[in-house]
Amino acid sequence: MIEFINVSKVYKTGTHALNNFSIRIDRGEFVFIVGPSGAGKSTFIKLLMREEKPTSGEIYVNGQDLIKLKRRKVPYFRRTLGVVFQDFRLIPNMNVYNNVAFALRVTNVSGREIRNRVPYVLGLVGLANKSKSMPEHLSGGEQQRVALARALVANPSLIIADEPTGNIDPDLSFEIVDLLSEINKCGTTVVMVTHEHTLVNEFNHRVVTIDEGQVVSDDRLDGGYYIE
Amino acid sequence: MRGSSFGYLVKEGIKNIYANRLMSFASIGTLVACMLLIGSSLLLSMNVNVVVGHFETQNEIVAYLYDDVTQEQVFQIDQQIAMIDNIYDTIYLDKDAVLQEQQAMLGDLGPLLDSLEGEENPLPATYRMKVTDLAQLSSTVMRVEAIDGIEMVHSPDQVAEVFVSLKNAISTGGMFIVAILIVVSLVIIGNTIKVTVFNRRKEINIMKYVGATDGFIRLPFFVEGFLLGLLSALISFGLLWLGYNYIMEIIAENPSIWIEQAYANMIQFKDIAYRMLSWFAGGGIGIGVFGSMFFVNKYLKV
Repeated sequence: MIEFINVSKVYKTGTHALNNFSIRIDRGEFVFIVGPSGAGKSTFIKLLMREEKPTSGEIYVNGQDLIKLKRRKVPYFRRTLGVVFQDFRLIPNMNVYNNVAFALRVTNVSGREIRNRVPYVLGLVGLANKSKSMPEHLSGGEQQRVALARALVANPSLIIADEPTGNIDPDLSFEIVDLLSEINKCGTTVVMVTHEHTLVNEFNHRVVTIDEGQVVSDDRLDGGYYIE
Repeated sequence: MRGSSFGYLVKEGIKNIYANRLMSFASIGTLVACMLLIGSSLLLSMNVNVVVGHFETQNEIVAYLYDDVTQEQVFQIDQQIAMIDNIYDTIYLDKDAVLQEQQAMLGDLGPLLDSLEGEENPLPATYRMKVTDLAQLSSTVMRVEAIDGIEMVHSPDQVAEVFVSLKNAISTGGMFIVAILIVVSLVIIGNTIKVTVFNRRKEINIMKYVGATDGFIRLPFFVEGFLLGLLSALISFGLLWLGYNYIMEIIAENPSIWIEQAYANMIQFKDIAYRMLSWFAGGGIGIGVFGSMFFVNKYLKV
């Protein structure tokens, strides 16, 4: 599903973000990526989404060789991913329904399917009754659930969550991770970057710790939920 | 791309114009202002050129023939004059015709010259030639002088000089001003579009993350740029038309003979309307589309 083999990334500024980084995440796993600031978590996410290319090494995601993937094929690769950001990234002048439908519209999905999928996904994240609301009238937790619905709506096999709870109350953070866990139970792989240890400890998932561009611990075996 | 998506994206483009109406208004305003400035300088220099050109063509080279040229020689002179490119209109008056002309000019006193008819006629046969380009007057005169059978050539050298320098000044000056205006317009419009796109970078960014292709992201901006350009072109065309006709009316009411004569030669707006409109539409749409494409591309590299 996801495989990084000896990946190094050196930015033009000279920063060594990742050094010989290797990781393997299988289909259906839920993985927390933790580590201090500057450890290389963001670079890992960027490489995962093919926003950046590594300086050396191999990366395979969803069956694609990301090194060989052509630029014009990148959008099609991204359609197999669902991404959730710390800052939600909702479009402020679109209501909840359109923010979610937007993800389908820009990827060539028929109008009929949009009308079927969007209410279904909004129901899944518990926002069926807020579909007409504008993002600014929602709480942080609700906004993040809209973003999650948008990530889910195209039925991706991998969800990438970059500090999804960074901007919301601790109580609501739990709710978001719980939701991600539910999604994971249906077979979707989830990779979540976070530095909230309390949150990580509340869930029994695989935890990979990154520091100085390398994996320093991977308690894969402690995880309560793991399919080989 | 499926049809429904295409329709959706075109609709998005149109909706965006309204959703970002302040920016759209600014873009249209800038484009219209620039096109009006360029259009009026163009019209002004075109008109001055035409009017000066009209007065220019009023100048003639006059050549007098020797008294003893034969009909056959006149035929040869005709041919040689025809070979000079710069001469576009030639009138030949034989001795009798010149005399008649003189008599006509004298009016009632014309019969005084009756005695000069026939063998006694001292007036030389004459060619009157109009030149296309006054700047080449002296070389043209030299070629005419070189023709066998021509005794003397008169030409308005000094007037020609004035006209030539006047025309040069107007066309270089006009071109210069239009060029500066075009550059300034491009900078202002580029900036406006840049701000428009910058305001929507978040939207573009999200589209990239959910897997929209570049073409998909560009299309609404393309439609938007196209429509803004077209709208600006139509507005400035309309304004220029009204303004021009208004000025023409003022000129037409002016009683001065000189101005009347100039007015007769001035360009009527309807004669250049199609050309003007196509320039405006081409320029407006071109700038709108390429401007937005250029700046959108900056945000597509995610």
